Formats: sequence, C-alpha cells, structure tokens
Amino acid sequence: MPNLLSELDPLKQTALAELQSAADLPALDQAKGAWIGPHGRFTGLMKQLGALPKEARPAAGKAINAAKGELEAALLTRRSELESRAALPAEPTDFSAPGRRRAVGRLHPLTQVTEDIVRSFRKIGFVVADGPELEDDYHCFDALNTPPDHPARDTQDTFYLAQTSNATPSEAGAPLLLRTHTSSVQIRVMERQPPPIRILVPGRVYRRDNADATHNPTFHQIEGLYVDHGVTVGDLKGTVEFVFKELLGADVQIRFRPHYFSYTEPSFEIDFSSALTRKLGRTWLEIAGCGMVHPQVFENVGYDPEEWTGWAFGFGIERIAMIRYAINDIRLFYENDLRFLRQF
Amino acid sequence: MKVTRNWLRQYVDFDWPAEELAERLTLLGLEVEGLHPFASEFEGIVVAEVLTRDPHPNADKLTLCRVQDGRSERQIVCGAHNFHPGDKVPLILPGATLPAVAERPPLTIKVGKIRGCESHGMLCSPQELGLPDAIEGILILRPDAQVGQSFAEYLGRADSDTTLDLEITPNRPDLNSVLGIAREIAAVTGNPLRSSTLPDDPNAAAPATLEGQAAVRLEDPDLCPRYVARILRGVRVGPSPDWLRHLLEKVGVRAINNIVDITNYVMLETGQPLHAFDLQRIDAPPDGLPTIVVRRAHPGETFTTLDGQSHALSPEMLLIADPSKGIALAGVMGGANSEIHDRTVDVLLESAWFLPTNIRRTAKALGLRTDASYRFERGVDIGLTDWASRRAAQLMIELAGGQLVAGAIDAYPRPVVPTRISLRHHKANQLLGLQLQPEEMNLYLSQLGLRSIDRKPRPVSAETAPAAAVTFQIPSWRPDLKRETDLFEEIARLHGIDKIPATPPRGAIGAHPFDMVHDQHAETRRLLASLGLHEAQGQTLISETAARLTAAEPVLLQNPLSVDMNALRPSLLPGLLDSLRHNLSRQNTDVALFEIGRVFVPGDPRPGEPRHVALALTGRRNPAFWQGDDRESAFDLHDLKGLLEEFLEQLGLRAIAYQRRDNPPPLFIECADIKLGGKVPLGQMGQLHPVLARQYDLRHRVFLAELNLDELLGRCVASRQFKTLPTYPAVRRDVALVVPDSVTHDAVLAAVRQTRAPFLEQVELFDLFRGKNIPAAHKSLAYAFTYRSADRTLTDAEVNATHDQVVKRLKQDLGAAIRE
Repeated sequence: MPNLLSELDPLKQTALAELQSAADLPALDQAKGAWIGPHGRFTGLMKQLGALPKEARPAAGKAINAAKGELEAALLTRRSELESRAALPAEPTDFSAPGRRRAVGRLHPLTQVTEDIVRSFRKIGFVVADGPELEDDYHCFDALNTPPDHPARDTQDTFYLAQTSNATPSEAGAPLLLRTHTSSVQIRVMERQPPPIRILVPGRVYRRDNADATHNPTFHQIEGLYVDHGVTVGDLKGTVEFVFKELLGADVQIRFRPHYFSYTEPSFEIDFSSALTRKLGRTWLEIAGCGMVHPQVFENVGYDPEEWTGWAFGFGIERIAMIRYAINDIRLFYENDLRFLRQF
Repeated sequence: MKVTRNWLRQYVDFDWPAEELAERLTLLGLEVEGLHPFASEFEGIVVAEVLTRDPHPNADKLTLCRVQDGRSERQIVCGAHNFHPGDKVPLILPGATLPAVAERPPLTIKVGKIRGCESHGMLCSPQELGLPDAIEGILILRPDAQVGQSFAEYLGRADSDTTLDLEITPNRPDLNSVLGIAREIAAVTGNPLRSSTLPDDPNAAAPATLEGQAAVRLEDPDLCPRYVARILRGVRVGPSPDWLRHLLEKVGVRAINNIVDITNYVMLETGQPLHAFDLQRIDAPPDGLPTIVVRRAHPGETFTTLDGQSHALSPEMLLIADPSKGIALAGVMGGANSEIHDRTVDVLLESAWFLPTNIRRTAKALGLRTDASYRFERGVDIGLTDWASRRAAQLMIELAGGQLVAGAIDAYPRPVVPTRISLRHHKANQLLGLQLQPEEMNLYLSQLGLRSIDRKPRPVSAETAPAAAVTFQIPSWRPDLKRETDLFEEIARLHGIDKIPATPPRGAIGAHPFDMVHDQHAETRRLLASLGLHEAQGQTLISETAARLTAAEPVLLQNPLSVDMNALRPSLLPGLLDSLRHNLSRQNTDVALFEIGRVFVPGDPRPGEPRHVALALTGRRNPAFWQGDDRESAFDLHDLKGLLEEFLEQLGLRAIAYQRRDNPPPLFIECADIKLGGKVPLGQMGQLHPVLARQYDLRHRVFLAELNLDELLGRCVASRQFKTLPTYPAVRRDVALVVPDSVTHDAVLAAVRQTRAPFLEQVELFDLFRGKNIPAAHKSLAYAFTYRSADRTLTDAEVNATHDQVVKRLKQDLGAAIRE
C-alpha cells in the first residue's frame, strides 16, 4: 500500500500545524486526541499495518512511529509553552514591595553584651556563678575590707530594706540591703568552695542615685575572680587583655593605672584605647576596676593568704554596651522602647 | 584637688610639659580629670640683648642684628632704628604668636628670609605688644632686665601655667596637698623634694608655751589628739599680694584677705587645714588667759558658722570654744563670732588633728562640707600639725607684717607611734610577676619616704635566696600603708605597671553549680525571642502601689529615693506594664515583650528572690503587611496560650494544666493558673483588667503571663528520646459534638482518655462554632481523631469499631449530640 506512506507526510504536517497552533491547553488536548490519542488518526494508521504485505510492514511501521514521535515532541513543547503562559500572573509582581514578615524578637542589648563577655571568659576556663541581690552588711562591705565608716555604706548611697534579717543568731537583726556590687558574690563563693576558684558573676546591682543620662538606681555588673597558687599581677594583665581584645576588637590597647579599692591590693583601674575611643574624642577610656585580692579578704573567708593569691575584676555592663553601641543615655536600657530594642 | 604645674615645680624639679605631667600622674594613680592651661599674655616673648646692629646688605631701610636670647645668638632682620648694641629688647621667638590687637588677626612668627637674609624671630614695638608706651620703634627695656627672662615675668605679669584637676582616691589623704603630689614626682624622678624654704623653727630657742598669752585645754583627746596654737600680734589685714591671689584663683579658691588666704594657701600646700581666730574675740575666764577649749557640744547648744547659718549641735560634735562660747565647729567651719575682719590685729592660729570619723559624721549631720572637713575626714598628717602652723606664721609675718609671739602651744598628749612593716622581697616578686632585686625595691620605698630600720642589713648571698625581710618605718603622711601587700603596690606603682609582663591565661578550670543554670537562662531567652517577643529589662524598684497589684505584702525599702521606687518588685508584670505604656505613648502600638529577672517575696529568715519569666502582648499579632483580611487582627488570649504551650514544650515540660480562676486576682479580668501535673503551681496567664489598662493608658487588650522560672527549669526535662517514625498509614475520622458551653476541651479529652481506645494516636480540635443550628448556651466542637497501628495498615472495620466506642463515650459522659 504505497499510498499509505505517501499520505503519511502531508498528514503529519497537518497534525504538527494543529498542535503548534493550539491556543490553550484544552485545544491542545483536543488536538492530541484527534491525532495521537487512542482514537487518533495516527493510532488508526498503526492498526492498518496489518493490511500491508508482510515484507512492507517493518518499513511502514517505522515511518509511522517516527512521525508519531515527532508529533509527541511537538505536543510536549507546545504544552510547556501553554503551561508557562498560564502560570504567569495577570499582573507582574513588584519584587521591591515589602515581604510578609514573621515576628521574631531580639535579645536585650545588655543580654547580648553579657553573653559576649561570658563567652570570652568561658574560653579560658571561667564558669558563671551567682549570688543573692539582697545582701547583708557583712557580705557587701565588712568581708570585703570596707572600713566601718566608709561613705559607700551610707543610707545616701545604699538602699536598705525596711526589714532586717533573721538568718542566724549572729546575723539576726542585721540590716538587709540591695548589693552595691557583684563583689559580694566573691565572698559567698569563697565561703562555700575551697580554692582554686575561677568564676564570673553577672548580675544586677543597686546604688542610690537618681536616674539621669549616666545613672540608674539599678544597673548590671560583671565580676571575675581567680584564686590559685602563684597568681600574679601579670596573670591579671594577661587575662584582662585577652578578654577585652575578644570583646572590643584586636586593635584595642589596655593600660592599668594604680587605684584604690578596699578589697584588692594592689588595685588598678583599666583604661582602653581603640578606634572606638578615638571616635569619642578620647585616647583612653576607663572601663573596669581590678586588683589582687586583699589578704584580709582571704582571711575573712578562711583562705591562707600566704598560700593563695588571686585577682578580681569588675565592670559595668551598661558602660560597655554604651561604648560599644554609642548609646548616650543609660535610661534607654530600662524603657524597653521597641525602636531601641529592635536595633540590636 | 587642683594644683598648678608651676606650683609643683617650686618643690621638685621636672621638665615634663603639662600633658606629660598629667600622663605621669595618672599612671601613678592620681587620675587627672582635667587640664586647664592659663596662657601667658606674652607667650614666647623673652628679654634679649642686642649684640650687633648692621645695615642690611640688600635693603636701605632694614638693619641686620645679632641678639642674645639667653640660650643662643640669633640673627634678626629689623626695620626700626631706635636701638643700639647693648640695649635690652623684647624678642618674639619663631612659633609664638603676637597678642591679637582687636582689629588685626593674631600673627604667628616664622623663620623667614627678608630680602635674602634669614630672620629668626622679631624685635617688638610697644604697639605690637599692645602696651601703652608711646615710642616709635622697638621697646627698649630697663638695663637691669635679665636676658632670657620671659617678658611676662619682666613686666611682673602672670606667666603661663596649667591647672591640673586631680581625682584623689580616699586612701591617699597625703595627696590632697601640693607637697604630697610633689613628693610623688620626687619619688619617680629621683629628684629631691624641696619641702620648703621654712627656717627650722622661727622660735627654736623659745619656750614651748605662749608665756601667759593664751591657753589650750583638750577635753576630749580622743576626738582631738593634737592641737597647735600660735599667736601673731600687730597684723595688718588687707588684700593678699597678686601672686597669692592669682594662685588661689587658678585652683578655684576665692581670695578673701591676707590672713585667710594664707591659711588656705598652707592648707593646699600641706594638706593641713588651718584656722585663724581674732584673738581679741576669744574670751578668758575670770583672772585667766584667753583660752581655747576643745570640747563636745552641750546638748541643745547652737552655733552660727561664718556663713551665717545657725546649727543645732549634738554632744557627738566637737566644738572649739572659749570659756563662754563656741567659736568654731572643729574641723568643719569657723564661727562668725571670732572670724578675722578688717580691723583684726592679733591672730590666734589653729593647726589641729581631728578624728576623721567624727568630722565626717558632723559634716554629714549638718550637711556642711568644706575643704577643711574633706581633708580631716580623710585624715591629715599628724606629723605635720606644727610644721604647717609654722609655715603659716612665717607667711603672715612676711605678708601681713605681724610679730610672732614667742613660743607655741602644742597639745599632743599621746604622740602617735609610727607603723612598721616588714617586706619580703620574694613575696613581692611572686605577687607582682616581676623579678626585681631587693635593692631596687628598697630604693623605691625609700624614695617615698619609708625608712629601713634594720640597723645592719644581713648579707645577701646569691645562692640562698630569698633574701631576709626588711622592716620599714612608715611616714606619718601614709596612713594607707598598713601591711606588706600595701608595700607591694607601692613597688608596682614606682616600677611602672606597664613594665609588668602580661602572662597568658592559665590555671585551674572553674566550677560552680550556677554555670548550667546560666545556660538555661540563655536558652530560655533565645526561645522566647524566636517566638516573636522582644526582651525587656525592667526596674527592680517600683512603687508600692504597683507592687500591691500582685502582692499583698511587698518588700519595702527603708530609704527609697521616692515613692515611685519604694518597693522591690514582687512580679515582673508591673514593669512590663510600664514598658507597654512607654511604647504606646510613643506610637509603638504593637508590643510583645518578655522579661527574665528576679522578684522579691517576703520570707523568713530573709525575703526570697526567685527568678521569674513574664510575657506581655498587646496590639496586632502580625507584622504590618499590605494585603490580606487578617492583617489587622489583634492578639488574643489564645496567642498567649500558644506561646506558652510552645515555650513549655520546648523546655521539655509536659502535662501542664491551665485552670481557669472563677475569682481572678485584681490584675486580671479573666485568668488561669498554670500548673504542672495539675498540682505544682508555675504561674498565671490572663487578660489585664480594663480598669488597670485605662490606668496604664493601654487602649487595646493586654495579655499577660508570669511563671516561676526557677521552678520551670528545676523540673524541665532536658533529655530527649527518639521514637521510630510510623511505617503504616493513619486513618482520620472527624466528629462534631454539640455540647453545653460549660464543657471544656479538657473535659472532652478526659472523656476520650476514659475509653482507652486502641490505635487512637491523636485528638485535634479543629473547629469551634456557635450560632446557626446550635442551641443557645451550646457550642459545636469539631475534632479530628487519628488512628494508627505500629505494625499494620488498619482496616475500616477496625477503625470504625474503636471510633464508635469513642463517640459513644462522648455522648454518654458529656451529653454531646453528634452533628452530621
């Protein structure tokens, strides 16, 4: 049946044209049905193969399959064209429009700074310790070698509770106060643990200052204490330098100035210098106090100052945060204004 | 403490410019808080002598001179002709600036060539110097002018100087004096301290009494261990000379008259406050001498200080009196009734040592802080009482023309025994991390005025280190040196802390039970932030009124700053309400906050301070968006509940019950107790009462929760165990129950649990409906029941059997109608 083969090509051309010109997916499906579906004309052609002489069948079958393959490829191409067109939104999307946000909170800047400090100290073997915010005179002052008449003890500078402690017969009636520094935790820890000690104490402290740009009656300190055999001023310097480089950047320079604290001897104040301080117009900026634990303090907690030495240092977390983020008013930390909190 | 550089240089030699001086003092522990330069009017202008004067080779009108400026010879090109070799003239040096004449900008002199000849400075005319002398040409100075002298000095005007404002730590009373600071400089430079030009004793040969002219009686030697009195007769009270007035002004002390100024000057110089009485106003007992009585005030006694204020005194306060009346508040302020005035001719000069704690209490009780009380409080040098008196007497003779009465009274019944401290050099090296030689340490200490009192230092053998201890006698001006460690600090200071090598971190690993808790807190914070809440930090101190919102008996302060901050927070919620108000007043309308912190609850033996965590929500639940029907939807109680569920589940806490309270506490309009296992109370959640919301200016509904964090973390389960993922498919059956409003979700779950239905994996509420086709006071609850077996695919028949059992139970126990 030579005319079957001769009809094949014009038929294929017609079918291709119909598939390629289908205007939408339903029209395409219809064209598919008409030509290569189960009842399509090309399927029909295959059924007529049986009518051919045996020797002609392979060639004819091959030709029909080839044509059918071409049509199927054309169908696939047209289908993806039409599908893509259908998927395109009617109006183009404005990719510059704001997206639909999820609410995610942020950590308070004081928390972030505290965590950074804790992380650097933990790298060198410190662990976090804790103690009460309500203290007695003994732990806040006496045990730290504060002279009995020191102004820090004044009701002008320290908050006292209306009630007194009934803890032990010796403590009974002792005034309770809000700790003025985290150093009281040094005593609490050393009373309970034998040396060596390597702790870090973040926490709230209280001074009876009216709130202004640089004061808040509540603020945060962090205290480090290291007691061991043979601890030296050199160790103190090395550790302080390590931590502040971690915290404020490798370009930071540190210097120690002699100072006075009752619970350390020698005592120092620590200044730092960096691009940050220069931006504030200062070469050196005071950032922390420190010193070698006073032998009297060791005696007060029952450590032998001839055997053990140690150092302590402490600084204000607000101060670090204010320097780091260029915050100019300490009260911002306690107002919790979202426009403030979202910046960190 | 304020001091000027030039003043210091009167006592010790040093060349450091002001900035370097400030740096050196700071590194010695005297923090310099401010530097205030006082420029000389004629900075950079000196007296020079003209050596030669020749015509300029290239200009007819100019001359070429050689001058001597006291240091070197200079060539100067000059246009004036009115001077000759040998004349003394004002020379301005290159780099200096001529005084600005009003209509001309300041002129800075440079080395330059004028018509081919270099000129190293300029000779000045009176006009250029702004002086009134009507001369044409260069100002010719007096022949006796000193070559090299500053021109300001030649004119007798103020030379340039710098005032340093120093922060003196309370342990170093000796540094509240120019001499004390000079002593520190002497110690670091090794230059000698010129302690004074004071003659040894103006009355060396005189008897140590005031020969029938006055008497002193110490009634309380504990409060006043030493009292020195001198008398000057025939003084002329008047203004102090310029140098003294200028000096006092530079350090911020107002000049009054020569006698008072001298007492102030000597106080600043030595640190010893002095007081001058008008001798004629000191009474004598009948048939006796004018007598100073140092006594405690009588009960009810009043006294008028020289500022005109009247004070009610107590017997705790020390008074300087005469036999009939108080004349000075000891160590604090003199009295109006005995002060120096214009017609004073005889002066009794007081120099005393008062007990620091007593002066401090008196000054504090009376609210009267003076330069004198400041120094006495911190402790002045008891070894200097007489010396300062003599120094002031000498100046009064010089500047007020008085006659010193022979002798002095020095009431000092129990002289202080100097402290002695032994120094073990190896201990100093061990603590400081240094390897200093004993001799170096001894030198540092001796430069500070400490004297080694070991007669014969034992020979030190290099092999048998450590060297023996050395005992030092501590000078009376260093009460802060009490034990060996204080000497270590002095050694470190003088050696230089910057020279101590920093050693890398080393040593023991720390241990403390709280370390783990700290991590739990950090994790809790991160969890709540990830749930969309911002972290807040509230004030610990709140008003008693706010505290009473959540506590019947808040812990109160004895000495609050104000009624707004007189209680310790018993809850974090009042603080969060303050923060909400703050935000809303600043147009931040959608706020979700949490705080973690301590609260304070009454307890025995002392109040407890557990840590709490609290949440507060108000406004819209979603961040702003520009499309969608629910974009304006506000937070409701279920948002809060959902946050708590997620939060507690992540902490590993299961079996949490939320029990509605029929009578909510005043903070809430509706609230539930949150309990663990139905028993252990964890906290509360609810909606803020609208009355309170109005009080806090909160316009939208506010939802609050607070939990005891210590309790949560103590009971949370950190460990996790993996459950194999199911292999076989689940079958879901939905049921809608119509039940009375009083039937809770918990009641439904309880009924379901009763059935112990096999294969039941999950029960999920997916719809709640009231209204059409539902009877009044009823609701429709739609539940999805999920059934699954771990080891096979369930058949329909199996699922139906178990599900029917559940439905039957719900009908029975809850009176539920099943909605088809």
